[in-house]
Amino acid sequence: MTAAHLSIELPELPPEAQTLRQEVRAFIAEERDAGRLPPPRKIGLGFNRDMSRRIGARGWIGMTWPKEYGGQERTSLERYVVTEELLAAAVPVGAHWVADRQSGPVLLKFGTEAQRRAYLPRIVTGEVTFSIGMSEPESGSDLASLKARAEKIDGGWRINGRKIWTTNAHHAQYMIVLVRTSEATGSRHEGISQLIVDLSLPGVNISPIVSMANEHDFNEVLFEDVEVSDDALIGKEGNGWNQVSAELALERSGPERWLSSFRLVSELVGALGPDAQASSHEELGRILSHLLALRQLSMSVASMIQQGKSANMEASIVKDLGTKFEQETVRVVRNIVSAENLTANGREERLRALLIHAQQYAPAFTIRGGTNEILRGIIARGIGLR
Amino acid sequence: MSEHRIFFRETVERILADALDKADIDAAEERIFPKRLYDALSENGIPLLLVPEDKGGIGATVADGAAILRAAGEAAAPGPILETMLGQHLLASAGLELATGLISLVFVDGIDVPEPGAEHWNDAAVHAVPWGAAADQVLIVAQTPQGRRLIVTNGADWTATPERDAAGEPRDGLYAPSLPVRVVALDDGDTWLRTAAILRAAQCLGAIEWAFRRSVEYTGERKQFGREIGKFQAIQQMLAELAGHVLASSGLVEAAAESMNPQLIAAARSRLGDAIDATITITHQVHGAMGFSLEYALNSRTRRLMAWRDDFGSSVYWRRMLAREFTHLDRETFWPAVSDAGLAAVG
Repeated sequence: MTAAHLSIELPELPPEAQTLRQEVRAFIAEERDAGRLPPPRKIGLGFNRDMSRRIGARGWIGMTWPKEYGGQERTSLERYVVTEELLAAAVPVGAHWVADRQSGPVLLKFGTEAQRRAYLPRIVTGEVTFSIGMSEPESGSDLASLKARAEKIDGGWRINGRKIWTTNAHHAQYMIVLVRTSEATGSRHEGISQLIVDLSLPGVNISPIVSMANEHDFNEVLFEDVEVSDDALIGKEGNGWNQVSAELALERSGPERWLSSFRLVSELVGALGPDAQASSHEELGRILSHLLALRQLSMSVASMIQQGKSANMEASIVKDLGTKFEQETVRVVRNIVSAENLTANGREERLRALLIHAQQYAPAFTIRGGTNEILRGIIARGIGLR
Repeated sequence: MSEHRIFFRETVERILADALDKADIDAAEERIFPKRLYDALSENGIPLLLVPEDKGGIGATVADGAAILRAAGEAAAPGPILETMLGQHLLASAGLELATGLISLVFVDGIDVPEPGAEHWNDAAVHAVPWGAAADQVLIVAQTPQGRRLIVTNGADWTATPERDAAGEPRDGLYAPSLPVRVVALDDGDTWLRTAAILRAAQCLGAIEWAFRRSVEYTGERKQFGREIGKFQAIQQMLAELAGHVLASSGLVEAAAESMNPQLIAAARSRLGDAIDATITITHQVHGAMGFSLEYALNSRTRRLMAWRDDFGSSVYWRRMLAREFTHLDRETFWPAVSDAGLAAVG
């Protein structure tokens, strides 16, 4: 795609997607009625194993995967519908999120038959949590500079190194770790591989990193002479960079990149009511229009992925726009809350708590999953500037 | 895109390439009407695009009309193309005779207008009428406490005070001590405003796309510090940001034109407002001083964006409209309503 043809097709949602949407909404209403989905006081993906089990029981984890591995063989757009409904209702999906979005698809695309059979059927039930082993203390945006390495030993690999910002490593059974397995002779992207590691193995040391929102989601994971067998290698030795690039495209265009702070808007609308100042309506209308535009774009990307088209640039645009929108949302809600005096004298206590948390959390939106500056580099390449 | 739409769009693109050049665009600033272009458009029936077939038109959809206006905006075509196309549609829908020449069209609010059935309008005044002095017919859609009315007037019956918009095109003040009119009550006045708003949005989108493309090309031509300025990250970051605005607003404008969903149209105009601001700022910043001269073609698009962006409801108007569609909802019914509005174009 070049700049001259910067356009994207409107997606077509099949009728079954609409039926599915109603099923998900009914599930959410059921959970709410049963008291299992209290209104959140925090934003972000909550971690709740039982909730993931119930979602898995509906067939909504790994739903695009082949039936032989426990999937439903449904379309990317149907998965899109499920994720957006769950996220908009702030359903805690953290226990299966990474595995459903990227670890499972990586195993499906690059893994061996044995690996697929070993992991996928356990992911779809919501039993198994995966974590992402990419970033390192000295390797953030410049991922290819990673230092973690695995040396070949008889029958397997010995891993040494340090991974950081690992969400839910303390709950997860597995991590897909990106390591250097041989020296790069030409490009730095050579000699990198993905290994699947059982986090209960000796030599794995997980320590918490408390975020500025005063929460323990992140971890630092140290690997000291951790030995795994040959069947831990995903795909080809040395092909890790290509594999991880495909994985990152999946990580960048989904509704989680523009719905993180949506709950704040729902709470605001609930507290605001129909009568408000014209300026508040103007600001609210503006962010709603951005939301609808992002939604349209995100669905279009899901549709492109479904058709097997490459959507690297478009996915980067969704994440760049989406995460800025999430931050903007926090600012706008804060302004309207002030202008309308919504939380004074102890009113709307939950909205107040949510807004405080959202402000603390917001700096992460434009950093996690690739900083916006790196994403704009990808977009610039897409429009022919690099 | 349907075969019809591709045909319409290609026809208009060919006409724009053959019958419009930079001299015509510049001449419009001297109030010289681009006659060659309008003759070619008329010969191909473009002004009758939206008029139903049984009333002598082509019977195309609003989305088809939007595709054509997008091409016209891209080419910075001067003149009341939108006004003539939508004006004919209005006349046909009101059961009136189609116009034979050029139509201008304005939406007004807060002025006294004659009752339906009246034959004269005394002390009549309307402002900022596109090519008001040149139009054969001037249509006025007026908001009144009893709903919207269509007032049909002959251009020749008005006295014009020449005024200009930001692009330098005529937006005349019209006055008449008394002029003959036909006044009709419009059943669904809001639909006409929305139709005008989304057609103007498409025209803006075309201008945005041209300005974006030209800016990307320019950064590959212009060299400073010994290399093309497009090699600098500061430039790349700006154009990447603009690419996002282009893609996000075009998707929403297309979906809105396709569905004619009121909420999507309001959203499209709101989102487009931010894309227009970003386009004007970024394309000029990328062009540096070069883009600031009247001679350079960039301003023929960016000044049209300035002229058009608040037509048929400003960004502020559409934002308030959009918010008010949802503020009666509660925290759990809010998302389903927003979501369903967004799905209007995709089934």
